[in-house]
Amino acid sequence: MSGCMVDSADTSATTVVYVVVVVVAVLIGTVLAPVVWNATQGSGGDGDPSVSVITLRGGTDPGNINRLTDDLRAARTNDSVEAVVLRIDSPGGAVTSSEEFYLAVNQTANEMPVVAYVEGTAASGGYYGITPADSIFVKPSSTVGSIGVIVQAPLSTIEEAGRTSRTYLRTGPDKATVSKDTIRNQLETLHNAFLDTVMTHRGDELEFGREEVALGRAYLGPTAVRNGFADETGDLNAAIEAAARLSDGIDDDQYDVVYGEPVTPTRTTATLSDIDVERVEGDVVYVDATDEGDQFREPVRYYAVWGIPVTDDESATGSAAAGNETTPTADSGGNNGGSSGTGDGTATAGGDD
Amino acid sequence: MAPRDFLRPLGVFVAVILVVVAGTAVAGLAFGSAGGDGAPDGEDIDGQAPAQYQPDNVAHEDDPENGTLSVDGGGDDKHVLVDTRHSNRFDGADVDPLVEALIREGHTVDVGTESSGGFESGYTNATLQRYDAMLVIAPTGSFSEGEVDGLEGFTDGGGRLVVLGEPRQFTAGGGLSSGSSVRASADSLAAAYGLRVGSETLYNLDDDANDNNYESVYGTATGGDALTDGVERVQFDTAGYLIRTGDSDAETLVQAVDGTRTADRGVAGEYDVAARNGNFVFVADASLVERSELYDAHNERFVGNLLSFLVSGDKPDDVPPTTTPEEDSGGF
Repeated sequence: MSGCMVDSADTSATTVVYVVVVVVAVLIGTVLAPVVWNATQGSGGDGDPSVSVITLRGGTDPGNINRLTDDLRAARTNDSVEAVVLRIDSPGGAVTSSEEFYLAVNQTANEMPVVAYVEGTAASGGYYGITPADSIFVKPSSTVGSIGVIVQAPLSTIEEAGRTSRTYLRTGPDKATVSKDTIRNQLETLHNAFLDTVMTHRGDELEFGREEVALGRAYLGPTAVRNGFADETGDLNAAIEAAARLSDGIDDDQYDVVYGEPVTPTRTTATLSDIDVERVEGDVVYVDATDEGDQFREPVRYYAVWGIPVTDDESATGSAAAGNETTPTADSGGNNGGSSGTGDGTATAGGDD
Repeated sequence: MAPRDFLRPLGVFVAVILVVVAGTAVAGLAFGSAGGDGAPDGEDIDGQAPAQYQPDNVAHEDDPENGTLSVDGGGDDKHVLVDTRHSNRFDGADVDPLVEALIREGHTVDVGTESSGGFESGYTNATLQRYDAMLVIAPTGSFSEGEVDGLEGFTDGGGRLVVLGEPRQFTAGGGLSSGSSVRASADSLAAAYGLRVGSETLYNLDDDANDNNYESVYGTATGGDALTDGVERVQFDTAGYLIRTGDSDAETLVQAVDGTRTADRGVAGEYDVAARNGNFVFVADASLVERSELYDAHNERFVGNLLSFLVSGDKPDDVPPTTTPEEDSGGF
């Protein structure tokens, strides 16, 4: 009998030990479970939906756009990001990277709401990229539009084509030379792609047709809202709220705002302003390339840029390359990569690290 | 206490944690939003070959440049002078095809003559008497009153005169100021024939109304003048437009296509680019004879007709007259 009592006491003690062990194990497991859960959700973070604010302050040049497209890709592949706000202050730049800008935004807009906020300027190549946005927000001082392409060609490229052709042995008559007709043909091709992109994405909103868009005029915010180059007047927060409202994955105000590291130029002068312009004929800019000697050089470069080429005389007097009568004095505009901005915003989640 | 008394609870402890963690992992993969989509960095690419980027949409072909510049003789061998004394802005290579076409038909062409009166002075009437026709391309130096009178006498007497003028154009970085304005100064001469060049260039943004650039507008022939025989469409690279002064008798030869506008004010209208008044023809675009433009559209036919016009006159050798001392000593 006493033996039974002893066995019973041992069994109870053992049961208590096991209960304690199981409880402690469950508690530890509960602590580890969220870590494991998050690990199975990729880089998606905490599961709360978020609006990603991606900022471009500067020209649409290859360096800037490469970083911007990386940010957009990261937003697309991050499951917690349900919408994107593009904060833009860009006067455009090279056509080739402006097209990259457009394609990246277009891809993003295919997958989630994208709202553009024109902080300063979204003109020419800067506007090219935001055309797929579901909505474009502007301030009164925002500048948008300037749809068109210009080409930079060394003066000697065309004028001395005949002499050059006798300097080098070539395998064909069109090798290592370029003609005015060729440049204009290529310029028109790039212009068609740009212009029809604007008409594809903004045609329903614009109050006028393709030819009037092709004028290449730039507009301030209020005019842009009226003629359809922009949709609404508002600030960054209004754009964020609109993006969240457009997203199916965000309920009411249950979302975080993630500010990415702003893309800013690595130098202050973006494109044409540091080129010695010989003369301008229509949309062909002839530049001085005599210092380059006999080295081979890219014959022409195409730009989707808002502004006019700076001549030596203008540079000497310190004039900026604003190049448009609508330039607000508070905006540096022109080719210099836009204004310096008002700060990178205060992060709520993710931050500006 | 036996070792198994420790090992069993420890085993249970580890087993429970593993069950909880493994269960969470399985649940996460099964029900989480990222688990079934493959690699986290992967994405489906869609819409990156947009319709507006397709070749059929963006590629715009140049006008074929396959015509021939030819001159209909007019019988006699004529002597043609190409003016070089009014700071004419053209490259010698640009007029080579024109000179070749004329020489091929047996005519004689002088691109400029030796000056008889110092720098940039005009030709004397006696000099001009040696010629049957004169071609003036992109003059930027002005014509004096005496020169205009001389040329009027030249055309009144049967000489043929063709002027390819230009509207005012701005160039960047080409002068002392940040931008400078250059005007082809044919107005004083053209005014004698009731014509002058408008103050702006022309443009047309309709892709079907220009040749790959908004400034390269097309013009269509009007009327039935021999100067537009076989010419349906002319392409002007930097076209101006003509204005008639007073009761001008000038008839329109080529007019810019519908929808063409002026560059500064954007005013649409009917703009004459080439006109004829008797033995005088004025075209408001000197780039017509540039090598890159000469064979666009029907330009070579129009230029050929202009050359034929030059060598089809009938001017006596004593025209223009040299009866007054003033005409003998200066001007034309």
